[in-house]
Amino acid sequence: MRRWIGAAAAMGMLALGGLSGVTAQAVPQADPVAPKVIRVGATQSVDSLNPFLAVRLVSSSIHRWMYGFLTVPDAKTLQPSPDLAESWTTSPDGLTWTFKIRQAKWSDGQPITADDAAWTFNKMITDDGAKTANGPAVENFASVTASGQDLTIKLKAPQASMLENPVPIMPKHVWEKVGDIAKYEATDFPAVTSGPYVAVEQKKDQYVKLKANPNYWRGAPKIDELQVIFYDNPAAAIVGLKKGDIDLIGRLAPPDFEALKGDANIVQWNEQGRRATYLQINHGATTSDNKPIGDGHPALKDPKVREALHYAIDKQKLVDEVQNGLAVPADGSIIPPMYKDFFWQASGATKVSFDLAKANQILDEAGYKKGADGIRTMPDGSRKLQFRFSIHTDTPIEEKLAEYLTGWFKELGITLTTKRLDSSKFTEETGTTALFDIAISGWSVNPDPEEVLATHLCSRRPTASGEGGGTESFYCDPQYEALYQQQLKELDRPKRAAIIKKMEERLYTDAPVIALYYPNDLEGYRKDRIASITPIPEDKGILYGGSGYWPFYTLQAVTKDAGTDEGGSNTGLIAGVAAAVVVLLGGGFFLTRRRKTVADDRE
Amino acid sequence: MTIAPPAVEAIDEQPARRGLLRYAAAKVGGALLSIAMVIVATFFAFRLLPGDPVRALAQGRNMTPEQLDLERHRLGLDKSLAEQFVHFVNQTVHFDLGTSYEYKRPVLDLIGERIGSTLLLTGTALVMAVSLGIWQGARAGWRPGSRFDKFSTGVSLVLWSVPTFWLGLLLLMVFAAGIGPIPGIFPTRGIESVDAPDGFGYVLDVAKHMVLPCLTMVAVVYAQYLLVMRSSVLDEVGQDYVTTARAKGLRDDEIRRRHAVPNALLPTVTLVFMRIGFVVGGAVTVEAIFSWPGLGQLFYEAIRVPDFTLMQGTFLLITVSVILMNTLADVVYHLLDPRVRSA
Repeated sequence: MRRWIGAAAAMGMLALGGLSGVTAQAVPQADPVAPKVIRVGATQSVDSLNPFLAVRLVSSSIHRWMYGFLTVPDAKTLQPSPDLAESWTTSPDGLTWTFKIRQAKWSDGQPITADDAAWTFNKMITDDGAKTANGPAVENFASVTASGQDLTIKLKAPQASMLENPVPIMPKHVWEKVGDIAKYEATDFPAVTSGPYVAVEQKKDQYVKLKANPNYWRGAPKIDELQVIFYDNPAAAIVGLKKGDIDLIGRLAPPDFEALKGDANIVQWNEQGRRATYLQINHGATTSDNKPIGDGHPALKDPKVREALHYAIDKQKLVDEVQNGLAVPADGSIIPPMYKDFFWQASGATKVSFDLAKANQILDEAGYKKGADGIRTMPDGSRKLQFRFSIHTDTPIEEKLAEYLTGWFKELGITLTTKRLDSSKFTEETGTTALFDIAISGWSVNPDPEEVLATHLCSRRPTASGEGGGTESFYCDPQYEALYQQQLKELDRPKRAAIIKKMEERLYTDAPVIALYYPNDLEGYRKDRIASITPIPEDKGILYGGSGYWPFYTLQAVTKDAGTDEGGSNTGLIAGVAAAVVVLLGGGFFLTRRRKTVADDRE
Repeated sequence: MTIAPPAVEAIDEQPARRGLLRYAAAKVGGALLSIAMVIVATFFAFRLLPGDPVRALAQGRNMTPEQLDLERHRLGLDKSLAEQFVHFVNQTVHFDLGTSYEYKRPVLDLIGERIGSTLLLTGTALVMAVSLGIWQGARAGWRPGSRFDKFSTGVSLVLWSVPTFWLGLLLLMVFAAGIGPIPGIFPTRGIESVDAPDGFGYVLDVAKHMVLPCLTMVAVVYAQYLLVMRSSVLDEVGQDYVTTARAKGLRDDEIRRRHAVPNALLPTVTLVFMRIGFVVGGAVTVEAIFSWPGLGQLFYEAIRVPDFTLMQGTFLLITVSVILMNTLADVVYHLLDPRVRSA
């Protein structure tokens, strides 16, 4: 038995040493002058480092730090400003755009030309694999040509969002050698990039290391290295931040954000966000050929009912109780106040405020009588006003939201039952099959809101066979549609913004969706590590997951005496190792010792 | 104990060996049949799951119907179910588990990348849990009702009932972040530090990362070995041979170690073999708490998408290894215990 235990302990050590040897790899030795390293925690793993394929937020953020785009949102105004394109002109019909590509160098020293940009867009137009991440961005492109530093893009139809092109420009001389783009992982390091950082190492589902690009045309970033470290579990990431394993973490949920309270080393970043949370209402879903689809409640087709529901929601209460106060109640539509140019807010008679009496009155007048059980019925008495509320499984915030809505609607004589769905089923029922009455929804909005506005277009409804993409509550409204087309052609920004505000007003009054609140951007960073960081936009804005590289380009690390840090991590390592050895071997030792003493006692 | 004449033993040996071969062949045949059934069941079971993978992949992005069709075609989802099934079986018997929808890479590669870290963590935890369980169980069963018995059975049962997630987070908060006088010495995540040193330093770095996840797993699972071992030893305590051994004047400790424990080990051995199969699957919860890059984490990701090929691949790997280990357990048991042989 003793031998057996010894063998077991040896096996454990063997497994430990042997297997870890397999995963061992060369790590560059630490520089004698401690490099300035900033570590960002991410709770989403990188799906791909190939920008043609990557769709996750963490991956596209990394790509924003690595590559230049035609334009970048201005740090103050969020309006498109020069990036790789230093200037541009548009033909009077709005169909031909010419961009002047700046004289700059790739990180490997090669010059950047318009040819690189043309290759990138043409690759996406001709290769289906390259369409995976940003296909729609080039859908309206008729042709893309290059001549020296001039890039000419001809469009099929005018497109006001042309300057918000989300496609990173790739180095032709490196990427044209790639065989099958759809299968390429882009793990040849160091990567060749034109942005502030160069990816130098990746360990799948563990971390990505980026080094400052010395050739960056604005000048190299002020830190030497940026590491993106993956946490599977937000609670562990919070522990990691408190302990100093990471220096910054973004996209926090209210409870995780509150867990950072009281830590002297941590700055709690609580600013306006880029999201809106709203209810989508099945107001008579139809397919793209206008045939009814799904099983939505007929009462919700009546704008009066939707208006009454809107009056019955106390948005401030939702902000206080559901979002722990970390949000802004929505008196507008789906574009959050962060985007000052495009944000619209209801006022005067248009504004809907919490008023249960008024809500009841609207329903009374519209003929929805209360029955003996207190529940209203359709004017023709055919059906009770009993709605389903679709939420995602295991999301405490949505559960809480459902409780409040159920309570208020009950006072209107409307029954609300909660229906919990896993996310793929949820997407299917609320986006394709329309098997819902009311559902929770929310989108992150880009500096150009065209994409989120487009989710309410007739063309976004599914086809009869269930194909099609990205409708929000199956909206199809001629007035909204006309406004959308109008803003698409309007290249004058203030005029375009005015049209977009009309679209928001239409959504607010017609209420196929009801905006509830705009969640704040919640982040945390260590002030003993990060000396300064500029958000987007500069006054009150986002650090991680924003739409530009400013925060991570302007980032400054706290300068420390070289070596302090190293000593710290060594002490940790030694202590850790000691503990590991104690756990692995001490156990076995203890067992043998213990047996001996007990045996001796018995004799 | 009777001593059989040599002649009889010689005659007996041949049929016994043939019996074992026949037994093993039957077991392996059964296992192959189970594997075939698992392949069929895997294919259909995952297609019963709600959700359209292409739509899930497109979630949050604007995709035209043409693009969705293209994606569907690329993933082979536009073929009939029968065609997809034939393709799947053909691939599987050629040890090709297909290409992951989400990662766009061969499932076998993805599994290959993670199986090492899973085996390292769960294997070490299994060895520790088995050693601890068997040792404590043997002692507890030998003197049932003693303070040691009550204490170790109690502790193990409490740990067994504690939710793994909760225990893991607790350990994380105490030993990674540090509370009060306890300094946070262990890492919060992963299998290695981002700037891990080379050589032996690297091994130590990995060991340090393993402590908390390993501890969590051992704490939660060792009760089962303890209980099985305890009850088997308990069965042996009243046996005649034990009384005989005592009468011969052997030390109590000696009797337990040399006679009772080996006899009582059989059920535990079976349990251990069965668990080895599950070890391949990793521990989804523990891997999720400590961001351990293993198969459990991969499987969890696959379900979230849903990524059919990745789910199928990991699921097949896990079930097949469980079946193989069960078969092996049967054969080993057969070899170890004469009673099973004669039955």
